[in-house]
Amino acid sequence: MLKERIMNFLFFFLLIVFGSSVPVYAADTPVERAMKLYEKHRYEEATRVLTADASHKHGAADLTLGMIYLQNARLHYKLYRESLAVSQEYLKKLARIRGKGKSRFADLYMGLSLMEAGKHETAVSHLESFSADEKVSAGYRDLAKINLGYCHFRLGDKQKAETLWKSVNSENPELNAERASVYSMAGLQDRNPSVLLDESLAALKKSGKTPSLRMIRNALAIYVKDGRIDKGLALVSHSDMKAYSYKETISRTKIIHFYDPSLIGLLATLYSQASIARLEKALADPGVKDPATYYISEAYALSAYDKNRKQVDFSGTRQLPAKYQDRMRVWQAFEEYRKGRRTEAFAIWNELGRKQPFDPDLNAALLDACVRAETECSQIVKRSETGVASGKGRTMSGLNSALGTYYRVKKKPLKALAFMEAGRDKSNKNKIEYNDPVLLVNLAGMYYQSKKFSEALEIYFEMSKQFPVVRQIQEVMQGVYAMEQKSAGDVKIF
Amino acid sequence: MQIKTTRICICRVKEEIMKKVLLVVLILIAAAFLISPQAGAERKKDGRPDGGTLNYGEYGRPATLDPVTSNEMISLRITELVFNGLVGINEKQEIVPELAQRWELSRDGRTYTFLLRKDVLWHSREGEEAKPFTADDVLFTYKIMMHPKTITPLKVRYEFIDTVEKLDEYTVRFTLKRPILNALAKFSFKIIPKHGPANPLFLTREDPFVQHPIGTGPYILRNITADREIILVANDAYFKGRPHLDKFISKPFADQNIMTQALMFNAIDMIVLVNPRDIPEVQGDRRFILQPYNALSYSFFGYNMRNPLLADKRVRQAFTYAVNRQEMLDSFFNGQGTLISGPFAPGSWAYNLEVQPISFDPVKARQLLNEAGFTPGSDGIMQKDGKKLSLVLKVPIEKESEAVKRVVLAFKNYLKNTGVDIQVAFKEWQAWKEDVFLEHDYDIVFASWVFDDSADISSLFHSGEIGYWKNNFISYSNPEVDGLINESKLTLDHEKRRTINRRLHAILAEENPYTFLWTLTNYAAYRDKIRHVAIHPYKFFSFADEWFIGERDQK
Repeated sequence: MLKERIMNFLFFFLLIVFGSSVPVYAADTPVERAMKLYEKHRYEEATRVLTADASHKHGAADLTLGMIYLQNARLHYKLYRESLAVSQEYLKKLARIRGKGKSRFADLYMGLSLMEAGKHETAVSHLESFSADEKVSAGYRDLAKINLGYCHFRLGDKQKAETLWKSVNSENPELNAERASVYSMAGLQDRNPSVLLDESLAALKKSGKTPSLRMIRNALAIYVKDGRIDKGLALVSHSDMKAYSYKETISRTKIIHFYDPSLIGLLATLYSQASIARLEKALADPGVKDPATYYISEAYALSAYDKNRKQVDFSGTRQLPAKYQDRMRVWQAFEEYRKGRRTEAFAIWNELGRKQPFDPDLNAALLDACVRAETECSQIVKRSETGVASGKGRTMSGLNSALGTYYRVKKKPLKALAFMEAGRDKSNKNKIEYNDPVLLVNLAGMYYQSKKFSEALEIYFEMSKQFPVVRQIQEVMQGVYAMEQKSAGDVKIF
Repeated sequence: MQIKTTRICICRVKEEIMKKVLLVVLILIAAAFLISPQAGAERKKDGRPDGGTLNYGEYGRPATLDPVTSNEMISLRITELVFNGLVGINEKQEIVPELAQRWELSRDGRTYTFLLRKDVLWHSREGEEAKPFTADDVLFTYKIMMHPKTITPLKVRYEFIDTVEKLDEYTVRFTLKRPILNALAKFSFKIIPKHGPANPLFLTREDPFVQHPIGTGPYILRNITADREIILVANDAYFKGRPHLDKFISKPFADQNIMTQALMFNAIDMIVLVNPRDIPEVQGDRRFILQPYNALSYSFFGYNMRNPLLADKRVRQAFTYAVNRQEMLDSFFNGQGTLISGPFAPGSWAYNLEVQPISFDPVKARQLLNEAGFTPGSDGIMQKDGKKLSLVLKVPIEKESEAVKRVVLAFKNYLKNTGVDIQVAFKEWQAWKEDVFLEHDYDIVFASWVFDDSADISSLFHSGEIGYWKNNFISYSNPEVDGLINESKLTLDHEKRRTINRRLHAILAEENPYTFLWTLTNYAAYRDKIRHVAIHPYKFFSFADEWFIGERDQK
C-alpha cells in the first residue's frame, strides 16, 4: 500500500508539474509542499500552504486544492455520522437525569441533535421543555423557540412556526442570525436569510462583541446553503473549531460542555463544495484536465446527488493508467445508480469485477460503492476476502478497510473489527500520516460500539492534533464512557 | 441334613448382610453425589477442544501471588487466573454473576445481599480434599483485607463498607456507609479461602499463602520452578466449566528484546505487552496476531517530597521543562506512544483535553531553579544553602531494559545540562519495590502506573495514602487535591466526577508531583494457533478460560 501510494503521488506530481502551465523550480513549490502534506493526510496544513501562496490561482493549484478538499470532505462526512450517533447517546443519558444537579441544557442540545438527524417530531418535546424552563435565560429560550418553530415547519404546521418566530426578540443579533439560519434551512428565500445574517454580523461587530460559536455555525450554515464557499472557508480558518458551543455551570464541581451537532456536517459539505469548485476550475487547464476529471468523478459520487450538475467529458481520460480509469468508472456507475439507472450501474460494476477480479484497490472501490448503494455485495465480498487472505499486509490496507466498513454496516462487529485492524498500520498506531483517517474513524466507531471506549478515545486523541473539530466527539465519548464503565477502581505499578 | 441346612442358613445370612452393606454403600455414594459438588465439573458446552499449553512471557517475577497484598501487574494477571470475585465484568461492561449467583440491592442503595453459588470448590492442596467455598470465606477476605496490619493497597478502595454479615452458609450481606457510584463493580475483589493464610487475622508478605495461593479460579497454581516459571494447570472442577487450555506457564524475562525473540522462535506463544520497537517485526509475521488492548497506563518520573529539595514545586517543574520528552519518545520507542499532560492516560474518560503537556524549555528550567533559590556552584551543579542538587534516581531493571536505560540516561543528561546531578541506580524489581514502597529510600523513581477504567487516582495523590506499601509513595499532600478526591468519592453524579477529575488533572499538571511522560502503544502478540482470544483491557486474562488451541495445533 505504501509503495502504491508513493507511485500514485509520483504519477500525479509529475502530471501536475509537467502538465501545468506553471514553471518548475528546484526547491519545493507550494504545490509540491502541499502534495507532500496531502499524502500524509494533513489536509488542513496542506490547504494553508496553498492558500497562503499568492500565485495559487492556476491549474495545478486548483487540482491540488480540489484533491485536498475532497479527502477532507470524505473524512468530515465520516466524522459527522460518528459524532451524531455518540452525542445523541450522551445527551439522552444526560437528559434522563432529573432533580437537583440536572442539566437544563441537555434538552436544548438533544433537541438540536434530533433536529439535525431529521427527527423533528422527537425534537419538539425537548425544545418545548427547554423553552418553558424559566430558570434559563430568555435569550437561550428564544433560541430554542426559533428551532422549535423550524421543527413545526418541517412537520407541516407553518402557523405554529410563524407564531414562535414572531414571539422571539428581534433586537438581538445572535437570535437574528439563528432565525436567518432556520429560514435558510426551511428554504424561505423570500425572507432574505443571507441579508439578515450579514446585518446581524454587522450589528454585532458594531456593538464590539465577538460572535459566539453558535453564530459562527449559523453563518457557516447560510454560506454553505448559498454556495458562498470562500466566505465559508475564511470563516472556518479564523474560528476555533474545537471550542464548545455552551458551557453550563451547574455547580463549582459540575460543569458540562456542549457542542453544536451540525458543525462537522457543515464542514463536510463546505469542503465537498470547495472540492468540486476547484476541480471544475482545474478542468479548464488542459495540463491537468485528466487527473481533474478523475477526481471530480469521485467528488460527485461523494457529494449529495445533484441532477443539475455539470456533465463531465471523460473522453480524454484514456491517457490515465488503466486502474485509474477503472476506478473512475466505478464512481460513474454510482452516479448512474443514483439517477435510477441501476441495470447500467450493475453492468459496469460486474464488468470491472470480471476484468480485474484481484485488484485490491478496485475491489475496495467496488465494495465502497456497493455499500453506499445499499445493495447486494456478496460476489465482491467473496473476491475481496480471498484477496486479503492471500495478499501482503500493507497492500491490502484499503481492501481490509472496505471489508471492515461492509461488515460494520452488516452489524457483524467482530468481523468488522478484524478487517479494520488488519488495515491499520500497527507500527504507527493511530498516526494519520500512516493510516487513512477514514479507516481510523471507522475503527474508533467500532471500538465505541464494542464498548472499548479507551481504544476509540486514543484514536481521536491523535486525530485531534490535526483535526481540532474532533474535540466534540472526544468530549461526548468521554461522557458516555464515564457513565458506562464498570470498574472497581484499581491501579497497579508496572 | 442339619449341617447342610445350617450352611445354607449361614450363606443366606451372609448374602443378606452383603446386600445390606451394598445398599448402604450405594446410598452413601448417592448422597455424596447429591450433596457435594462433583469432583469433575462439566466441560464447557461450546464445542471447542480441550488441551494444549500456553507459554507467555512476563516482565519479571511477581513479588506475591495473592490478590490482597500484590500491587503489580504481573501478580494481577496470575490472580486473574487463580481467583474469582463475587461478581465479574464481561466484555460489554456488564456486571455478571461469578461466585455470587445473584444479589439483591436495598432501595436506599446501601445494602447488598449476595446469594453465593453452592457448587464451588477451593483448589485443593496436596493430600487434602477440596473444601467448599462458603460465606465464611467472603467474610474472612473482607476482614483480612481491612485489618490494620495487612499490607494492601485495597483498604482505601473499600472504606465505604460499613459492615459485613453472614446470614447463612451461602448468603452474605454488605452494608455501605453511603451509596456509591458503581458499587456493584467493586465486589469484583478476589475472594481468598479462610483456610488459606497461615495467620487468620492479617496477611503479610511473609505468609506462605502469598507465594502458594489457592483459589476458586479456572487455573490452579501447580508450582514455581527454579527458573521462577509459574505453572498453572486447568481446574477440572471449575464451576463455569473446565477451561480449554490445559496449562498456562508464565516465563519471566529480564530483557524485552529476548522476549520478542523467544516469541519469534516459538519458545513462547504469547507476549502480554510487545515492546513498541518490535511491533513492525511482529506485524509482518503472519504466524502472529497483534491485538491492541488499552491498558490505561503511563510512565513517569516521581519525586520524593520527603526530600526538601524536591518539596518545592518550582524544582519539579524545572525538571519537567528540562526534559525533551518528545525526543525521548521518538528516539527510544519509535514514537509509539503519546505525550501526556497529567495523571490520566489519553484514552481515559477523565483526561482533561484542555491541558497541554509542558514544552521542552531548558531556559525556563534554569529560571525556575533560580527562583527557587538555586545558583550554580563552581562545578556547575546547582546548589542552595550549601546543599548540592544531587539526587538519586532508582530504576527497576526488570522492565523494558534497553529502552528504559536510554530513557533514564537521557533524563540524567538533560538535567545535567540544567545543572542537576542525577545518580542512576538500577535495582532488581523486589529490591526496588522495597526501597520505594517500604523504605522510601530514593529521590526520584522511573515507573509506570496501570489503571482500570475507573480513573481512580486517589491512592496515588491523597495524603491519607502516604505510608508503608501505599501508592502515594512520593508523600504528596495538597488539601485542595484531598478535598476534590473526597468529593469525588462521595458523589453519585458522573458529570460531577468528570469535572472533578478535570480539575485534578489541571492541578497536578501544574504541581508536577511527577514529570508525566507518555502512554505507550499497547499490543499483545500471540501465535495464531490460540483462538477465541478476548483480552480484558486491564486484567488481561479475565476471559482466558474460553481460549483454546485447535486439536491439530496442540502439542
